[in-house]
Parts: sequence; structure tokens; C-alpha cells
Amino acid sequence: MKRLFKIDCLSRVEGETGITAEIRDGEVAVRAGVFEAPRFFESFLRGRHYSEVADFTARVCGICPVAYQMSAVHAFERIFGIEVEEPIRELRRLLYCGEWIESHALHIYLLQGPDFSGAESAWSKREYLPIAKRGLSFKKLGNRILTLLGGRPIHPVSAKVGGFSKLPQKQELLSLLPVLQQAYEESLTEIARVVCLPFEDNLMYMECISLSDPREYPMNYGNVISNGGVDTSMAGFLSMVRESQVEHSTALHSAMRKDGSESPYLVGPISRVNLNAEKLPAEITTTMKKCGISLPIMNTRMGIIARSIELSYTFSEAIRVIQEYEAPSRSCADFEHRAGEAAWITEAPRGMLMHRYELDHGGYVKDCTLIPPTSQNLALMERELRDFIQCHMDKPVEFLKKESEKIVRSYDPCISCSVHLVVLEGDKQGKTPEGISSDPA
Amino acid sequence: MKRPRIGVFKFTSCDGCQLSLLNLEDELLDFVGLFQVAYFREATDRPLRGHLDIALVEGSVSTERQRSHVVAVRERTRYLVTVGACATSGGLQALRNWADIDDYKNAVYPSPAIIETLPCSTPISDHVYVDYELWGCPVSSDELSETLGSFLLDKRPGIPGYSLCMECKRKGIPCLLIARSAPCLGPVTRAGCGVLCPSLERPCYGCFGPKEGANIDSLLNVFRKSGLSHHDCALLLDKMNTSAYRKARTREGPP
Repeated sequence: MKRLFKIDCLSRVEGETGITAEIRDGEVAVRAGVFEAPRFFESFLRGRHYSEVADFTARVCGICPVAYQMSAVHAFERIFGIEVEEPIRELRRLLYCGEWIESHALHIYLLQGPDFSGAESAWSKREYLPIAKRGLSFKKLGNRILTLLGGRPIHPVSAKVGGFSKLPQKQELLSLLPVLQQAYEESLTEIARVVCLPFEDNLMYMECISLSDPREYPMNYGNVISNGGVDTSMAGFLSMVRESQVEHSTALHSAMRKDGSESPYLVGPISRVNLNAEKLPAEITTTMKKCGISLPIMNTRMGIIARSIELSYTFSEAIRVIQEYEAPSRSCADFEHRAGEAAWITEAPRGMLMHRYELDHGGYVKDCTLIPPTSQNLALMERELRDFIQCHMDKPVEFLKKESEKIVRSYDPCISCSVHLVVLEGDKQGKTPEGISSDPA
Repeated sequence: MKRPRIGVFKFTSCDGCQLSLLNLEDELLDFVGLFQVAYFREATDRPLRGHLDIALVEGSVSTERQRSHVVAVRERTRYLVTVGACATSGGLQALRNWADIDDYKNAVYPSPAIIETLPCSTPISDHVYVDYELWGCPVSSDELSETLGSFLLDKRPGIPGYSLCMECKRKGIPCLLIARSAPCLGPVTRAGCGVLCPSLERPCYGCFGPKEGANIDSLLNVFRKSGLSHHDCALLLDKMNTSAYRKARTREGPP
């Protein structure tokens, strides 16, 4: 017996993706196909000057442009041997807080949130509107931070190799404090609300991977660690990752080479919270305990909890940075460019974003690799979809479709992020691919 | 009055311009009250049915399937508005237009043969009639709400076509081109960003594309006098609006 179902274009995810599931003789094959059109970033970046790269990479993703700027500028600073001043480091952290807030609030309240109320969008049900409004006010605050530091929330323009093109006035930063304080308090009660949402029981072992920095909750610095014993440098981890092209879709899929085999892994808020909980402020960990959150979180459906914890954290971190900020001696470090190669990883809202660049003597890019968080999570997402459908094979297709969409959404995939993309779907024997219909009907 | 039906469509893009719509935040819930959001994949599950009064189209056309999709969108739409650099001028993915697409595929994919993509990334207006174009990478939220508001009032949106310099002067920002000899694209670029880069002490890099009648070669001569090579000058124009700047240069005629 053979059954096949297809979701052509998922809604409430960023970018275009589809799922195809085939059930044959009780065996399930699932393919999460990305059919976002390729944009060839790694190709057109070749020959471009290092000073333009952050402007380009920002355009990979409208939701997390800062992540793409941060991974790029840090990689170049490593090649040039630049150490930025402490206040610059802190301002970059604040910029990243703005992006985490904006991105997490979008996902918690507008993309995934409606799933728990059975709503088709954040504004389709009257009883969800107050929740949506709260989410929008959080998101707005994230965007205010981005605008203050970078001029605009999407593709901000001030971050550059060595520092910033212009620094904000301390007074402007201080003006954010009262609203941030209020949002922080609200976000703590939001953790309690989110914990009470109905979650599917879906405990599974997964290898969680994130940066880890002895000084702070990871954003721009650290080593790569996991709950499965990985502890390595950024460059070390990049050499463990194997990207492969799968025919049925997509972004290149990533897997980690470890102990002679390749295994899927999870990056993003769940991994970060599991591996770095001791760096969270006491007030947040107390709230987590009170709400009955026990770590590690081993259920991907609970990503929204991890995201809410991080939302709270970024408010409190933004407050800390602003309170302690003292202007640096200059906005940008002096440096000279030179040839070389370096890799850097930063924590995008959705997880580790890896960049590697090779520069020639003139400062032009010879070669580069960008590995976004979504392509790292795709393998695990497919495994979870397969296991789910395997367990619920007897259920109607409509149910399987709805639930599969929810699973995908709980990963918060960012499809336009998946830089290297394929637009087709073929079967595994390599027959002529049948075009996926994007017709959103 | 019946609320106009609006659809938001995505082609090849970063999603940033759709996000500008969600970034209206305070106005977002008013907006969904004034319009009937008939199709918006990023924000709602609602499938597409029937005709639309207005379609906002993000992204460029870069695959075969998108060529027919954009026609399908046009056919069911009264007013089609492109939002942002990709939809209006082809976006930065149009950099492939001046390269060999096979080289591009080989650089990214282990099995380039199965990548289905057109050799060129083109603006929506190359394929269907476009009623109104919004520039910007990303589009500005203000211009977006001005356009939507104008639609409701049945008037033409009040969006200027003059250069960035006009706004820059009005804001009283010292000229980066003259005072620092910085390669600023302001004189040939549309206003619309709110003088973002010069306010943050960096030269304009052309998010909003060429203004009408831009004298680009004359500006490049100025850049060359301050020491920029031919190659570097070309790179300055080859960004998010590469197609539009190149087209504007050829319209000027030989230098």
C-alpha cells in the first residue's frame, strides 16, 4: 500500500518550503524540500572587497541581517588581527539583542503562537489579539534598538570591520531604559504563559550544539560545545561539518562527522538554553524554576519556551549593556588589511551561523562559505517528521499535514537564510524531477 | 464599504520587504482592519482564492516556475505594486546576469546539473504590467503605508523621485562627497531611506536605486579624480540595484 501527501508551501515560516511524505508498506520517507530560488551569494561574493561583504551578506535574510553582518565582520577582524575595544564589543552585543528580540517576538507571537490557539494568523481570532499586540510591542522595541544603532531594523548600515561607522549618544541609549524595563517585566510573566501551552509529548535524544563563552551567554564569541561531548574551536567545528546536496530539495543539508559517522544535530534557542543556562541572570532562572521548566529541554516542540526565556534574557542584557556603557575612544579601530583565511561563528536568533572567508592581498574575497542555522537543522527536522508520521500512519491525511506543519514551524526555519538552494524535487533513484508546484492555491 | 482584498506575494528575495509590512507594528492591526488580507503566506494560513484589489509583490523572477506564477498573480489583480529592490530592479541576485551561470552553480553546489534556475534575475516589470513601483533594499515602512493609504483614498502616492542629496541638504548633513571625497552615490540615488548612511557618517551605497535622469558617468568621473579605479567604480554600482544602475548608465549615452 502506498500513500503520498504533499504540502506545497508552508505558511507562517520565513521563506518557501514544502514537505513530501511517502508511506509505503509501513515505511515512511519524508523530504522537507526547500524550493526557495537560489541566489548564489557564495558565487557573487568572490571578487568583492571585504569592506562590502557585510552589506551583501545582510541581504541573505531580512529577519536576521545582523547575524550575517556579525559573522562576517568578526571573520575579517580575525584575518586582520583586530581586537575591538570593550565598548564596541558591548554595542555589538546590544545590536544583536535588538535582532534576537525582533526575531523571537515575530516567531513566538506571529508565526508559531497562532498554532496553539488554532488560529490561521495572529489577527484572525479576537481572543488572540491581546497576545499579538503584546508581541508586536516587544518586536517594536527590538526594532528600536536596531534603528538606534544601525539606522533601520532591516539591513542596518552602521556595523563594519573594526567597529561602527558612528556611535550612538549615551543619552539616546538611556532613553530606552524605561520601556526596556517594562518589557522585561512583562516578558517574565510571558514565560509563565508559554509554559502552560499544550505541548505534544515528544521526548527524544538530540545532540544540542551552541557556542559557549565563559564570560557570558553566547552571541559573538566562544567555543563550540554539545551535550554529546563536542568541545572545539570555531574552525575546528567547521571542519567537522559536512554539507551535502540532497536531490529532493533544498538548501545543502549539514551533518556532523563524529566518531566515524554522520549525525544530525540541533542549533538554536533550545540548544543555547540547555548548554548555557548557568549564564542566565538569577531572576530568570528563578522564574524558570517557578514555572516548572526543567533542563535540558529535549522536545523540539518546546522551542517556544526556550525562545521566551531568551526574549526575557535579551531585554535584561540590553538593560545591562546600556547601564554600563561608556563610549570608546573611537568608533572604529585602525587596521591594515592583509591576505588570509578565517572562519567565525556567531549565534543568530535561529542558531549558529558559520562564515569562512579567504582574502587576497588586495582585500578581495577569493573564496567563502556561509552555513546558516536552518540548513544545520534540516536533517533533524526530517527525522522528527518521519518518526511522527510513522507513529500516526493510521490518522487522516489532513491531520498529518497540519501536525507536520506545526513540527516544521516549531523549528522556526528561516528558508531564505538557506543560502544554497535547489528548486526541485526528484525521487531518490534520480529520475527526472517533477517540479514542485509553488502555486500557492 | 467593502474592504479591498490585498495579497502579498514572494518571489526570489530575502523576505525583508514583507517583514517591513509586519514592522508597521502599531499600524499593523489597523492595516488588517482596513484591508482584507486575502493572501500573505508569511503571516497567515489562508489559501489564495478569487480576485485581488491590490497585490504587493516582493522578489525578482529567477526561475521558470516564477515566470508563470507572476502572470497568474497579475491576472487576478487590479493594482500590482512591486515592493523593494528585487521586485523593482532584479535585486543583488541579478549580479549573475553579468556572469556565467554555470560558474555560479559550480561554485555552490556539488551537483550543479540539478539546479533549476534562469541565467538572469529580472524585475517583475520585465514580465507583466506593473502599476506602481516601490524602491529600496528594504522598502521603507513609511513609503509602504503611504502607498496603502493612497490606495484607500484613490490618489497617487506622494513619493518623491528626486535624489538623496535633496533630503541630505535639508537635514543639514555635511556633504561626504565634497568634504571627505567619499564615494557617495547620493547624487544619483533616489531619496526614500531618510538619509540613513550619511546620517551615520558613511557614503550612500544605493539601496533605493537610480533617480530619474541620473548623470552617473559624471559622478564616476568625480570618484576617479579622487583616486578610485575603474574597477572599484563599477563595483559601487553593482549592488542591490545593479540592473537599474547599469540601465541608467546606458540611457545616458556614451560619456
